[in-house]
Amino acid sequence: MTAPTTTGTTAGTTGTTASAPEALYVYGIAPAGVRAPRFPGVDGAPVRLLTESGLCAAVSAAPARIRPRRRDLLAHQAVLDELAGQGPLLPMRFAVLSPRPDALLSQLRTDAAHLSRQLDEVRGCVELNVKGTVVPGHFADLVRRDENLRNLALRTRRRPDYEANVRLGEAIARGVRREARRAAREVLGHLAPLAVRTMQGATDDEQVLSASFLLRSTDERRFRQAVDVRARDCGDRLALSVTGPLPCYSFVDPRPTPAGR
Amino acid sequence: MITYDDEVVCAPRAGTLYDVLELILDRGMVIDVFVRVSLVGIEILKVDARIVVASVDTYLRFAEACNRLDLEHDVRSKTVPELFGGPVATTIGRAGAKRTARSLTDKVRDILTPEEETAAEEEATRPRDHTRERAARGRSPQRPRSRPAARPRDEDDRPRSRPRRRTETEDE
Repeated sequence: MTAPTTTGTTAGTTGTTASAPEALYVYGIAPAGVRAPRFPGVDGAPVRLLTESGLCAAVSAAPARIRPRRRDLLAHQAVLDELAGQGPLLPMRFAVLSPRPDALLSQLRTDAAHLSRQLDEVRGCVELNVKGTVVPGHFADLVRRDENLRNLALRTRRRPDYEANVRLGEAIARGVRREARRAAREVLGHLAPLAVRTMQGATDDEQVLSASFLLRSTDERRFRQAVDVRARDCGDRLALSVTGPLPCYSFVDPRPTPAGR
Repeated sequence: MITYDDEVVCAPRAGTLYDVLELILDRGMVIDVFVRVSLVGIEILKVDARIVVASVDTYLRFAEACNRLDLEHDVRSKTVPELFGGPVATTIGRAGAKRTARSLTDKVRDILTPEEETAAEEEATRPRDHTRERAARGRSPQRPRSRPAARPRDEDDRPRSRPRRRTETEDE
């Protein structure tokens, strides 16, 4: 794999490399007073807290190179999990660096009000991510119900050949996907009212549902039960998976600092 | 060989790292004066995260599975025996289908014959056959039109979910 390049968003940081001696890997921002995570961070570095203006940032020495390795992704996630277990947290995206500790502290000072407000918004909440993938378990019903599919199937039986089979299979795959998408919309319609906020992610032909829900921790059980009911209800069309509770990745403002502030 | 019925999943599974990859990589906070290291190879990683199965191979498996279906006992339109009135519909049985078909028109035989072949193939693959499909087939000759399009299916008739690995996240 190629060495990572860096992108700076301000003139001062452009060209900073990941191996700058003072650079810090930033995991997230929490209210001051949390315990430093015991889990080692990215590249096995110990995680420490930098405190300023009632806030603290969890950081570790930036590794010489950052790559999206499984163990580093897991370390990022584990550090955030441990912090989120203690209270509200603004998780950073993977691979965010601060060029120097003083730059980080000054940022916390400048942004304190805005960051504290965001912490309040996710206080007592968790993120649950629900994904749904296409299941063709009901395709037999679909072929029987859908006049066009059924006729195509019978025609293909009378004159079976490779092309006809591909056409038939493709038509069934389209039908199965359409049903799964419909089920995904229903699932979303049932789950969204249980959440404080909902954020939809990208979908494709296989994964037709990808949504994050911001839930009050006390509603998590009820939410999971609702997912169970939906999963049974549409299990032959859509396979649901639930991940969480997660740090609220999807419910923090990605760029909290208005330019020139 | 894939038996599509086996893929029916009725309980949500607990997510894995791959399920949250996009959150860790694309969401979360980025502060302007900080630096986001651009990660070479990240797109490849994301594509690897899921298996994309829209391929001709999948289509052919669908077609193959479809060709094993009993399309005779359609839930909506009339079945072939019914087109010929009550007496035929009541006397015709699975075993007698071929014999009866010989006395019918070529067009009808066209429709019935593939079904016969399917039945024979079915016998050969019986051990792999899914309970649900067996149950449906066992019933249909006697009650060809008894199933409404959106039939309420009692619990015992539902496909069973396979036992799923439970993880600590599931119960929290």
